Amino acid sequence: MKTVIKLAVSALALCALSAPSIAQELRVTVWTGSDAHLKMLNGIAAGFIAKHPGVTVKFETVPVADYTQKLTFQVAGGNAPDVAWMMEDAAPAFENAGLLMDIGPTLKATEGYNFDDFSQPAMALWQKDGKVYGVPFSTSPFLIYYNKDMFDKAGVEDPNQLAAKGEWNMQKFQEVAKKVTDANPGKWGFEFKDGEGYASRMTHALLPPVRAYGGELWADGQCGLDKPEAVAAVKQLHDMVFKDKSIVPPGEQGDYFSGNSAMTVNQISRASKMPEAGFKWGIAPLPSGPAGEAPVIGQAALTVFDSGKNKQLAAELVAEMTTKENVAIMAQFFPPARKSVLESDAFVNSNKLIPAEQMKNVAAAIVNGRVHPAHEKVPQIFAAMAPRVDALWKPDANVEEALKGVCAAIQPLL
Amino acid sequence: MADMAPRKTTARPSGAPWLSLKYREMLEAWLFVSPTFIGFLIFFLGPLVAIVYFSTTEWNLLSQQSTFIGLRNFENALLENPDFWHVVRNSVVFALGLVPLNMALALALALALSRPFRGVVFFRTIFFAPVITSAIAWAIVWKFLLQGEGGAVNQMLAWIGIDGPNWLRQPNWAMAAVIVTRVIKMVGLNMILYIAALQSIPRDYEEAATLEGASRRQIFRMITWPLLAPTTLVIMVLTTIGSFKVFDHIYQMTGGGPENGTLVLAFYIYQQGFKFFNVGYASALALIMFVIVMALTLVQVMLRRREME
Repeated sequence: MKTVIKLAVSALALCALSAPSIAQELRVTVWTGSDAHLKMLNGIAAGFIAKHPGVTVKFETVPVADYTQKLTFQVAGGNAPDVAWMMEDAAPAFENAGLLMDIGPTLKATEGYNFDDFSQPAMALWQKDGKVYGVPFSTSPFLIYYNKDMFDKAGVEDPNQLAAKGEWNMQKFQEVAKKVTDANPGKWGFEFKDGEGYASRMTHALLPPVRAYGGELWADGQCGLDKPEAVAAVKQLHDMVFKDKSIVPPGEQGDYFSGNSAMTVNQISRASKMPEAGFKWGIAPLPSGPAGEAPVIGQAALTVFDSGKNKQLAAELVAEMTTKENVAIMAQFFPPARKSVLESDAFVNSNKLIPAEQMKNVAAAIVNGRVHPAHEKVPQIFAAMAPRVDALWKPDANVEEALKGVCAAIQPLL
Repeated sequence: MADMAPRKTTARPSGAPWLSLKYREMLEAWLFVSPTFIGFLIFFLGPLVAIVYFSTTEWNLLSQQSTFIGLRNFENALLENPDFWHVVRNSVVFALGLVPLNMALALALALALSRPFRGVVFFRTIFFAPVITSAIAWAIVWKFLLQGEGGAVNQMLAWIGIDGPNWLRQPNWAMAAVIVTRVIKMVGLNMILYIAALQSIPRDYEEAATLEGASRRQIFRMITWPLLAPTTLVIMVLTTIGSFKVFDHIYQMTGGGPENGTLVLAFYIYQQGFKFFNVGYASALALIMFVIVMALTLVQVMLRRREME
């Protein structure tokens, strides 16, 4: 019996001794599995740990494809992380469910943080009624990636040359796409984002042209796709797909990254794929339209879960990760939302793959860009849209009628 | 065997046994099945019972609010939501297309490959290989082959002067395409079952019938087919159940599209549960699917039994 008591006492003592160090582990869920990214994140966390002895920070990678799903299950299982990367389309649902902590007070109280340095359009999605639910760590504009070789073969000026002359607009986009297609048999002038323009990226395919024409997918609970601006934009795309045959049509695979399309829309993170592509390439802004330039950005933010035991500490970690210095470090992978960093030479020169001239396109698009319209019920909206959008992408479709159908399907959800 | 002996002596104390032989044997039996049985309770029966409860709630996974709403989810699915019947119709079409095609092809292949000849193992392997291929990889490859213009299938059709459709972008063709590609993937399994059954039929029957002057067709109709009946029943039940549960194939090839033309029950449940987080509604749908599959199985078993009598 004595031995048992002795053992129990020493075990207790051990627990008591080690308690402070195990009590405060901050768990951060992320969707990157990249070693370079994790190394950078751990480096930033090391700075935080140095200021908070006894605290550990653990980055947990969840595959991107079902990130939001897994995060939801963690929350449902009462096992929410302390800090989480949050995708823009998931933000409203988590926010409205009251799961996210208002980290505004912590950020503003952090010495030297300068909250107003964040670009206002970039913060729009993460602020509500004066409360701050997240800090964007990646604000990544949609850009045109082009295959310079295919343009040269067609003897056509590339998007950057056209942009320099102020001629890079939707009309010109259609024109060059057709010319490049004709000069490169079996290939296409343009591929929608990730080749998923008729499926999971259907709204990302429509959004840039619709905005260039002055329209919107939806706004203030009103579907915008049946408005004249949107109809005109989609008609142009429809002509390009089925008349000009210059956009990869539904049911075909015309991967830009394997050299089968001359242009696509994507974000700068994809530049890492380019060295192995085997052709000359560049990035340019999205073509402007009748409504002028309308940059589109995709966002991801750092958020803190309100249910966490160490939420105050977690909020301080987010503040640390988004100071000016750390945002500048992160900028090599994730385009920043801090104006001071965007305007710095360091940012323009941060990406080894992209020339400084072209990085300026990125910076400009971040300052002016707007995110994809948000909604709490985005998954339901997409599911309701999908069959109607399928009906739109047929050779003989009446674009205006099809878009009315899309709006009829999603209006009740908005 | 060697280590059995010492265990027996230690298990039996020197005094009177504290359990009679009968109970001890029962206890041992239970202990032996307990790993599987506990797993069954936790991972199968538990969730099944939980789903019955979930199906009576409206449960928002994010806000953690669960309200008891009785049979509202079932009412919603069966009476109000037009999507549900559309989805059931798709599932039935899928099963009606897949089950007969799969079984006919499996039987034909088994008849051809049940006798030994040079290269028989090679052919059996070829037809069985898709079964063990990853379903996702299979679907991705077929998505490439079935492209509208650049796809290999349509290019081959063009050689013989047929202008093939844009397979995966037209609802009816997409359904046909997912059925046929699924059959090609899974037929090998049923083929093996049929080959095993065919090989277990004694050759004497056939020889006797031949001596009596029966034609090959007669032999098949009067001897082989009736003797295959138990296998046919098993295959039919398993294939039907499998066809209602099809998910990965649809998920990768069409995502339920185009125009919801291939939105089948299992995919719809996934969408409701894991995309929209309507856990209650998804549970109700899963129960309905359970009942449908159960009913179909019972009907098939009953029909078979009557046929055999």
